Amino acid sequence: MEYDAATRLYPGTPKPAVNELNLSIPDGELLVLVGPSGSGKSTALRMLAGLEPLDEGRILIGGNDVSTVRPRDRDIAMVFQSYALYPNLNVAANMGFALKQQGVPRGERDQRVREVAKLLDLEPYLDRKPRNLSGGQRQRVAMGRAIVRHPQVYLMDEPLSNLDAKLRVQTRTELVELQQRLAVTTVYVTHDQVEAMTMGDRVAVLRDGNLQQCDAPSALYHTPANLFVAGFIGSPAMNLLRASAGGPLLVGGADIGIADDLGGERATVGFRPEAVVIGDGPIAARIRIVEDLGSEVFVHLVIDHDGEERRIVAKAEAPFAGSAGDNVHLGLHGTIHLFDNADLRRTSVQL
Amino acid sequence: MIRRARRGSRLGVGESRATVIALGIAAWVIGMLWIFPVAWTVLTSFKTEQDASAQTLHQGLTVARYSDVSHSTEGTLSLATAFTNSLIIVLVSTTIVMLLALPAAYALAIRRVPKWRDVLFFFISTKFLPIVASIFPIYVYAQKWNLIGTRTILIVLYIAINLPLAIWMTRSFFSEVPRELIEAAEIDGTSLFNQLRSVILPIAAPGIAATALLCLIFAWNEYFYAIQLNFAGASTMPQWVIGNVSTRGNFLAKLSAASIIACLPVILAGWAAQKRMIRGLSMGALK
Amino acid sequence: MLPALVFTIVITQVPFLVSIYYSFTNLKDRTQSLIPEPTRFVGIDNYKAIFNDAFFRQAMWTSVKMTVLAVVLSLIFGTLFAMLLDRTFFGQGIVRTLLITPFLLMPVVAALIWKQQMFSSLFGILDKVLAFVGLNSVAWISDHPLGSIVTVLVWQWTPFMMLIMLAGLQSQPSDILEAAGVDGATPLGIFRQLTLPHLRRYLELGALLGSIYIVQAFDLIDVMTGGGPGSTNVPYFVYQESIGGGFRYGSASAYAIVVVIFSIVIATFSLRVLSGLLKDEERA
Repeated sequence: MEYDAATRLYPGTPKPAVNELNLSIPDGELLVLVGPSGSGKSTALRMLAGLEPLDEGRILIGGNDVSTVRPRDRDIAMVFQSYALYPNLNVAANMGFALKQQGVPRGERDQRVREVAKLLDLEPYLDRKPRNLSGGQRQRVAMGRAIVRHPQVYLMDEPLSNLDAKLRVQTRTELVELQQRLAVTTVYVTHDQVEAMTMGDRVAVLRDGNLQQCDAPSALYHTPANLFVAGFIGSPAMNLLRASAGGPLLVGGADIGIADDLGGERATVGFRPEAVVIGDGPIAARIRIVEDLGSEVFVHLVIDHDGEERRIVAKAEAPFAGSAGDNVHLGLHGTIHLFDNADLRRTSVQL
Repeated sequence: MIRRARRGSRLGVGESRATVIALGIAAWVIGMLWIFPVAWTVLTSFKTEQDASAQTLHQGLTVARYSDVSHSTEGTLSLATAFTNSLIIVLVSTTIVMLLALPAAYALAIRRVPKWRDVLFFFISTKFLPIVASIFPIYVYAQKWNLIGTRTILIVLYIAINLPLAIWMTRSFFSEVPRELIEAAEIDGTSLFNQLRSVILPIAAPGIAATALLCLIFAWNEYFYAIQLNFAGASTMPQWVIGNVSTRGNFLAKLSAASIIACLPVILAGWAAQKRMIRGLSMGALK
Repeated sequence: MLPALVFTIVITQVPFLVSIYYSFTNLKDRTQSLIPEPTRFVGIDNYKAIFNDAFFRQAMWTSVKMTVLAVVLSLIFGTLFAMLLDRTFFGQGIVRTLLITPFLLMPVVAALIWKQQMFSSLFGILDKVLAFVGLNSVAWISDHPLGSIVTVLVWQWTPFMMLIMLAGLQSQPSDILEAAGVDGATPLGIFRQLTLPHLRRYLELGALLGSIYIVQAFDLIDVMTGGGPGSTNVPYFVYQESIGGGFRYGSASAYAIVVVIFSIVIATFSLRVLSGLLKDEERA
């Protein structure tokens, strides 16, 4: 599948919701579209589905230009955020709906529905109406409705966001297993970057309708293309501090030993929590809060950088001896990213 | 950096412009046809009587008919009297209806009096009795209490007519208010009256407006009670219109003018409030 | 709150109870004009007479025909118009405004308009159109009394149904419709399988409210046909029995009570069948 300079501009708005999106999705891949609200990810998904018309550009499925093809002729299945189950039909009828529209005979229809119901543990509920199901059950019905169709593509619009946290994590892994087993191209939209990182073969980060970067999760993590991706991916977020345009790079007043100034365009320096080591080092800091998660510890600190108090996060080994108010020293060991004043990452240095 | 895109399209994917336009035209045609009788009457009201009878337009348009009907003749009902009467009766009765219906709806929807469904059914069932049947007993009592020909009797009767509908609709609009809001207000110590004012009414407002409008329409247009219980003194607009039907001479144009005048207030009110009515109805005239 | 409830009960009960009273006590002739008879209690004589009364049966039958035709037709038209109006097109607000106007007219005015302007053989437009096309004029009202009345009823009540159905159409969540589109359903299929079931509750509401008002139709008949065979429905019949000329208030009341009982039976039965209307509260 492919987005070719696809653009969608809602009438009456000044900026496009999706701006010249170029994205190529090979067969069998699970691509995640991620971004904050308003980034255009849902719109992009709906353009694939045929629920949003294109103002410019094309959408291609299997090499065919389907930009003006109606949703029902595109052989795609979609899972909506609200599940969109048909309220007057029971679970079996919901799942069999699309097959019925295609004219699949009843016997085959029932059989396929039952297969998928078994796969998703929905067999006891086949007779129930959506209003008598729990949230998790409804979500599975929505998935089942898509799976039973054996489409070319699966589209999923934040299908897990209405589930409680534990169920969400559990369903996440099941989803990925399912997709690998079925080996069908899937485009998955979420605003949760953890979901994106754990699920996608590749992840496309969108912001205000523009594609920031599309790469495998580890590439996004270790080599973000720009400041936005760097700050969006990874939790806790990357520490980002202002960097002087010339001269030695100072963090918290200390020279950390990086000479590269990007030809005078250096603007921001970033480093992830795991690059901050608490112990001895040149940077003076004070602990604000210690978050002890059991297996790892995140320490929130304050340093005096460039004349202002700035907060940074460090990742420490459990057990951590230190508490709020302590004065400590920090050193940087790991990948340090340098961004220019157009917010692009230009280089990364290992300390 | 961002190239300006074409103005966004309103068509869905795969929707042909032709179908959309065709349906739009169809809607217009139907609208025009449906309104035709009214439009024709409006046209007639501006004609001379001769033109009106012959359905021609030879003598041009004039507003003379409107002034004809507006002037009062000795002994017959005048426009001014009828209009005032109708206005007072309608406003007073509708206000009282709403004042009674709101608490009742509150009791039925929010406090959930036990057996509320039966109560609701009971209210609606009072409308099953044809009003023609009750006219005689009402007449007798009205006469006893000297209420014939007064506005009061009509006000009372219109309240009786509209109250069931008002309660039914208001109740369902109240039931649309999310329970949590009311509970939150309760916890905050809001008095009943303030709960009504600040929480319930703002949410149910479109529905209540729709209900009030319907009551206004039905009261203004009511004909039977008005004609049976009134003499010239307290007559209402429907009677005034009928008074323009004469048996001699051509009267079509005058009648048209009178009809338009009589219906205009309600028509304008309805036009102004239609969006609210739809919103009100879709909010839950259902439950 | 409850006192208000009780108070309203009192107000609405007066007309009803009084009638019941009269149907039993005030008997046959309480006439103003003909033979004055002292009123006596006559028991259920009035009711017995009803069973033999062919005219009353005919009036009932006319009522049924009139109400069913008017309600069903205005529901159908109302739904169709609502579907047309549910999409965006140029000037949709204006079209909607035009369409609801007939409902806002006084029934007497509507009756007069149709009687004089449309149907009248002397003045009417329709006949002129027919003449234009070369056909003979039709005495609409005299030849088709029921049809004329139903026409005006439908003309007036379609907007009401349309508003209700419009509310119903707009309350359908759009993502379900989208899902159906993605699942391969044609617009017709979507309508039949999803929209119609959803609209069922609205249809029932419209039918209920419409029937309540249409069955009472009086103004139209009085103005257009003055009663007469084929267009006398029960309210008009009762009217004729009582102050319309018969002055037989006792029996008139009896007729009315019979009708009320009938209506209550029918309504109770249909309300049990109409699932959506009141039961949903339990679930909520």
